[in-house]
Amino acid sequence: MSFSLPAAVLAELERILPRYPNRAAAILPALHLVQKEFGHIPDEAIPCVAAAVGTSPADVEGVATFYTMYNRRPVGKHHLQICRNLSCSLMGAEHLLAHLSGKLGIRPGETTPDGMFTLSVVECLGSCGTAPVMQVNDDYHENLTVDSIDALLETLRAGE
Amino acid sequence: METVLTTHFADERYRRIDGYRAAGGYEGLRKAVSMPREAIVEEVKKANLRGRGGAGFPAGVKWGFLPKDLSRPRVLVVNADEGEPGTFKDRLILERGPHLLVEGIAITCYALMIHRAYIYIRGEYVRETRILDEALEEARAAGILGKDMLGTGFDLEVTLHRGAGAYICGEETSTINSLEGKRGWPRLKPPFPAVVGAFGLPTLVNNVETLADVPWIMIHGGDRFAALGCEKNGGTRLVGVSGPVVRPGVYELPANANLRSVVYDTAGGLRDGKRLKAVIPGGSSTPVLRADEIDVTFDIESMAKAGTMAGTCGVIVIPEGTCMVRALSVLMNFYAHESCGQCTPCREGTGWLKRITGRIEAGEGRPGDIELILDLCENMMGRTICAMADAAAMPARSFIEKFREEFDRHIAERKCSFGNRF
Amino acid sequence: MPTLTINGIAVSVPEGTTILNAAKQAGIHIPHYCYHTHLSIAGNCRMCQVEVEKFPKLQTACSTVVTEGMVVRTDTEQVRKAVTGVLEFLLIHHPIDCPICDQAGECGLQDYYMVYGLHKSRYALGDKVHKKKVQDIGGQIILDAERCILCSRCVRFLDEVTGTRELQFFERGDHSEISIFPGRSLGNNYTGNLADICPVGALTSKDFRFKCRVWFLKGADSICTGCARGCNVTMHFKGDILYRYKPRGNEAVNRVWMCDFGRLEYKKANEDRLLVPFVRESGREKTVPWGGLVPQVAHALSQATERDGADAVAVIASPQSSNEELYLVRRIATELLGTGNLAFTHRAPGDGFSDDFLVREDKNPNSRGARLLGIPDGQAYDDLIGKIAAGKIRALLLFGNVLGACSDAETGELLSKVPFVAQVGTNAGPVSKAAHAVLPSASFAERSGTFTNSEGRVQRFHAGFPPRGKARNPIGILVDLAKWLGGEWSQLDERSVFLEMSRTEAPFRGMTYETIGNQGQEAGG
Repeated sequence: MSFSLPAAVLAELERILPRYPNRAAAILPALHLVQKEFGHIPDEAIPCVAAAVGTSPADVEGVATFYTMYNRRPVGKHHLQICRNLSCSLMGAEHLLAHLSGKLGIRPGETTPDGMFTLSVVECLGSCGTAPVMQVNDDYHENLTVDSIDALLETLRAGE
Repeated sequence: METVLTTHFADERYRRIDGYRAAGGYEGLRKAVSMPREAIVEEVKKANLRGRGGAGFPAGVKWGFLPKDLSRPRVLVVNADEGEPGTFKDRLILERGPHLLVEGIAITCYALMIHRAYIYIRGEYVRETRILDEALEEARAAGILGKDMLGTGFDLEVTLHRGAGAYICGEETSTINSLEGKRGWPRLKPPFPAVVGAFGLPTLVNNVETLADVPWIMIHGGDRFAALGCEKNGGTRLVGVSGPVVRPGVYELPANANLRSVVYDTAGGLRDGKRLKAVIPGGSSTPVLRADEIDVTFDIESMAKAGTMAGTCGVIVIPEGTCMVRALSVLMNFYAHESCGQCTPCREGTGWLKRITGRIEAGEGRPGDIELILDLCENMMGRTICAMADAAAMPARSFIEKFREEFDRHIAERKCSFGNRF
Repeated sequence: MPTLTINGIAVSVPEGTTILNAAKQAGIHIPHYCYHTHLSIAGNCRMCQVEVEKFPKLQTACSTVVTEGMVVRTDTEQVRKAVTGVLEFLLIHHPIDCPICDQAGECGLQDYYMVYGLHKSRYALGDKVHKKKVQDIGGQIILDAERCILCSRCVRFLDEVTGTRELQFFERGDHSEISIFPGRSLGNNYTGNLADICPVGALTSKDFRFKCRVWFLKGADSICTGCARGCNVTMHFKGDILYRYKPRGNEAVNRVWMCDFGRLEYKKANEDRLLVPFVRESGREKTVPWGGLVPQVAHALSQATERDGADAVAVIASPQSSNEELYLVRRIATELLGTGNLAFTHRAPGDGFSDDFLVREDKNPNSRGARLLGIPDGQAYDDLIGKIAAGKIRALLLFGNVLGACSDAETGELLSKVPFVAQVGTNAGPVSKAAHAVLPSASFAERSGTFTNSEGRVQRFHAGFPPRGKARNPIGILVDLAKWLGGEWSQLDERSVFLEMSRTEAPFRGMTYETIGNQGQEAGG
């Protein structure tokens, strides 16, 4: 069964393309669309995106692996991305990371066996005034404490 | 004091076009489209508005770099890729006053005959992207964007373009390459973006805050904006304060605000009875100051005299009890992670600095490590395509310069005196 | 023409020249990796930084255009430290592969290390970042990502020259790695050039892998014989065995590139060679000394002429022969054998692939030369083959290794209709299996002369070593044969033949080996 991008993704891509003087500019938006659809960028999607914008799979892979937000491997239902830069560290991020890691039983870069949570460390999220900060999928969670993290995990588990 | 940007940020309705207009929004644009274009540029020059993205280049001068000849269409790229550690001010504008940016874009493009603008917004700012997208839709519906701006016949298309996680894409030529669908590699300059920019077209790249200042300048005039600041830098600056202070956050202050006052008055000093050890004044790439060195202002000369820079005015407050080796190691990890990899000194140097500082922090420092770090910094600074290598080297050099004894001790004792934690 | 001063030497250069090239003109070499004469400027290796007066920072010489009065220094302490610094950065992750790396001896890192480095490593072995080694990425190339210095030449080549873009940087920072997209290997016909342009042993030739250390190789200027393009090459050999081709620069022909097919052409000088003169009696090969074979062939040819007439004798020339050889072949056919049955064909076995870059459909180096010398092809060749098929040819002198595009079976069948076939050829094949007399000829590596490419460019090729085995220079064979056919020719070698050609043949009038030089010269007419 050969892979192809969902019709909705291709349609959205066609809608976006006229905004740019050349097709290659749509690579970043295209990869965002693919990730929204699949939760990550599957290997098979790379040549499809390349064909859609008119470049080589290597070029698209070069872009997909350059930017940290594109997950080339599947991630858990909730991607916990905790900032480890200076302001967040000064406000206790290391301690929170250790807590998260211990509570979930995984190290940064790993996913829980039930596929619920992936833990990552990321760099500055641009929310230093409300440090420590974590991004879960699209959402920022700020002013974190051990308690607020525990509560958040419960909400996420119960959520869906 | 008079505020330019944050005046109505507390009002939730301000982010919608009705609330924005009720507070006087888009009057600047209305005024601008009734002025000769050169007059708009003249006001911005008089305003002494310097780029707010960190480099501080005079905006009016940068605007003037676009070629006079209009045969090739121009492009505006809005740099909303805020990523400098300690910096979170543009996010505030996007969240609370998106129409300030939209209006600033409209005025700028009108003045410079730019019909296409792209807002490059960092991928992580999902919520802010949604808010901005709504604001753009409102502006289109109101006849401000799209065809025939306010009945003037001037067309302007604004496209929102998301980044995907790369600090380097805040460098203007990297922003352009990323916009073009490439890896975020900065470009050699010359040619400068004003001549060969996005898609090969003459391009102006401006920071969010810089553009957001423009509507006020139109309404109140460049001279008044200039007067809010100081001789070399007109207007106000959004100063972000982070670290263990009583009131962290973004504050709008005159461009020559005093750093000491920012820390102790505006931000309320350190909380939990902590004492100050050091302050990074303008985002992690600016040299650190010791607690006894922060009686300086954000204007260029004062900062330069103190051996540092205003950068993004992203103030990071470091309390006593912080291991400066550990702090530096965190930053070196950051730069190594973010190096685009294009040119040799940055690609290899940032990785090497990360490894050395990591070793020292882990108690495995060797005699000569400090000299090695300083030598690497010398081989990195000024040797690269963009300023990223300098951005990594400056904290390394300044931390060592200001806290040398701490580094020496860490190496000699092969342990962290602060308990290997923040 | 701005004038700049570089290390105190004044030099005037054309508008738009970069400091790097201006320095070259002044005889000063500025070290570099990412810059390549035929690719866009990248400026990312940072090796070529120099001091330029009035600039506060060092400038990359490859990307800085010369302006009038510019003052440049490449010999200062600051510049040396910068270069050494970059070199050190490049070496920290570089694997210590020299003992097993093919690039040794022609490696950019080794070469510059000996001049600018000579330092001890300050970087722990255990900290080296490891990347994928020994990857067959398709075409003629093996990729070792660990050795790569990320100069981007390969990425630019596949973007700007072939437009196929199979290679790209993946990841970021010091984990950046050149790679193909898995499953999408190199799919163009110019992959061999990647090994040429890679300054280090990251991209190496599969064919050449582990075969010979480069310092044992000698070189000779030659012309690729794979097609009518006539790409300029340098052939590398040890003793009398060829090891590889590298393209030689010629802006008018191949710039600095060559195709993958041509790159393997050198094997024809090594493999399946005819090295011993022999005759075929009762289906068996019998070695015969040259002194006996040439008169025997001459005798068979003239006997056929006497007995059955000049029309019963034929000469098939080869577009693999040089201009000089073809000239003599024509004279033998027309003057000494008196036959009109002289023709050649450019057709050869295979699919006649061509592209819009270097590869020509005609897989011979000298069809144009044959035509300029008045040897007919096309219909004339078809007619000649028709006569052979009808059994009308009693003696055939055949040059080359194939009979046009005929299959082995067709070749055998056609030649079986000729009672006497003498071959002057280099490689065993269907012709040598059918011929009654085989006169082994020196290969393109063992003789000198000129070819005329499809554009009419006359180009010199040079012998690297004397003919192998008992093979002989075909000019010697032809002069000998002529003597036994009654002609008294005084030419001793290709140079004297060319001298005569330059007087009698209009397209070559006024040409000398000196005017042809090593970049060739366009033939007249």
